[in-house]
Amino acid sequence: MSVLAAEWLKVRSIRSSHLIVGIGLGSVLLAAGLAWMAIGMYEDASPSMRRSARIAELEEVVVIVPQLCLGILGLVSWTSDRVLQTSLTIVPRRWPVLMSKAAVAGGLGLVVGAVTVFGTFFLSRGMLAGRYPVSGFAESWPILVPTSISVAVFAVLGVGLGVIMRSTAGAVAVLVGLVYVIPMIGGNLPEPWSERLGSVMMGALPREIAGASLASSVYGELLSPVAAALVLAAYALLPLLAGAWLLRRRDA
Amino acid sequence: MIELRQLTKRYGDTLAVDELSFRVEPGHVTGFLGPNGAGKSTSMRLVLGLDAPTSGQALVNGGRYADLRRPLHEVGALLDAGAVHPGRSAYNHLMCLALSNDIGARRVAQVLELVGLSGVARKKAGGFSLGMKQRLGIAAALLGDPGVLMFDEPVNGLDPDGVRWIRGLMRGLAEEGRTVLLSSHLMSEMALTADRIVIVGRGRLVADATVAELTAGYPSLEEAYMALTASSVEYGAAR
Ligand SMILES: Nc1ncnc2c1ncn2[C@@H]1O[C@H](COP(=O)(O)OP(=O)(O)OP(=O)(O)O)[C@@H](O)[C@H]1O
Ligand SMILES: [Mg+2]
Repeated sequence: MSVLAAEWLKVRSIRSSHLIVGIGLGSVLLAAGLAWMAIGMYEDASPSMRRSARIAELEEVVVIVPQLCLGILGLVSWTSDRVLQTSLTIVPRRWPVLMSKAAVAGGLGLVVGAVTVFGTFFLSRGMLAGRYPVSGFAESWPILVPTSISVAVFAVLGVGLGVIMRSTAGAVAVLVGLVYVIPMIGGNLPEPWSERLGSVMMGALPREIAGASLASSVYGELLSPVAAALVLAAYALLPLLAGAWLLRRRDA
Repeated sequence: MIELRQLTKRYGDTLAVDELSFRVEPGHVTGFLGPNGAGKSTSMRLVLGLDAPTSGQALVNGGRYADLRRPLHEVGALLDAGAVHPGRSAYNHLMCLALSNDIGARRVAQVLELVGLSGVARKKAGGFSLGMKQRLGIAAALLGDPGVLMFDEPVNGLDPDGVRWIRGLMRGLAEEGRTVLLSSHLMSEMALTADRIVIVGRGRLVADATVAELTAGYPSLEEAYMALTASSVEYGAAR
């Protein structure tokens, strides 16, 4: 517990963490801006176009902002710890240090994820209702919950990447690659590989977990809810375990 | 007590520490000398379990550092004064270390007072001078009131006042019965601070004696050091 308290203070006591969390939370405002633009477009459209007006679920669009932010928070907690050398001296066993960092980043990720995803849902639906056809809470919450959790997954993934890569730049590159580059490459692969790769991408997992359709996206929908949940957990845990294994073998 | 037994560390093809054995006993300051690259810092890292020895053992109070649960209470160390997040205040830096070893805020305030940083405790460490960072590092080493202390070049960057302060601090800590290992390149200062001297060269033990013994055959500690290390200064040369 004491190591956890120390890691929590480490995050709280530097301004850059506040900034990163603030940007993550700010994605709600970004979504509000997008909704506002959509309303403007709706108002300018002809009656027949209005009837066919559609809009994507904004919380699923803007969630990449808190995902990236928390991923960076996670990896920076390792790569620019600076006290790391000291903290490994002070807690000679490396496992608790790593797990505490993961717990702090993951916990923050869960809070930021829930606030932004649910906040965006209610705000954007409130703004868009009456103009665009929007889904209700009862049918949406099974997607909202895993989408919130995906932010925590990114945070823990960030910690794992930070340990493995040891450099901020390298770990950020891998993180961005996971969010943007691989889905883009995947979308251009020949079938069935495009569908297969698209099904295990982070962006596809919340809907696969909820058993909802992904037909109109670059993602695939091959996984069962249980399989998708396991893949989501693997994103967080595999890099972390790989990092823990490396830490035991190499010098600090 | 610190004890090195046949301690060896190899980085690739560099033999940083080569079958090094010596003991650092409580009750006096032990100076740790040697040319650049001789293996002083590496030895200290091995004692703290930051690096794993290639072979041999480094023991603290008879056990491995890695087996200590709250090590700050047994061993305090200053290795790298720069290992501070520039955006974190001195107080929070120490608090982060203290929390992980169940040390309270009162003790943090005490050590800040002791090293003379109370006035800037809430200031960001990134704005500290080298000397102030050294003081912060010393405060961290003292947090758990440990019986064993290791300082790697703590007088680096300190003003004359600070150098004298370190001398008094080290001697005081040793007089209280603690084990103090202190590395430095300042021979005249070391002669005033230490009672025993361990000299290493190219990772090997060159001398392990009292200051009195070393200076008996030479005009000064510096002369003794120069004579003893003459053959091991070409660091990185044929190994
Ligand atoms: N992480 C590392 N990787 C590779 N070589 C290393 C590493 N750390 C130390 N060395 C090498 O080990 C040798 C001993 O270095 P060390 O820092 O222990 O010397 P030192 O006695 O502390 O020197 P100085 O007086 O300059 O501080 C040097 O040749 C150094 O280059
Ligand atoms: Mg050194």
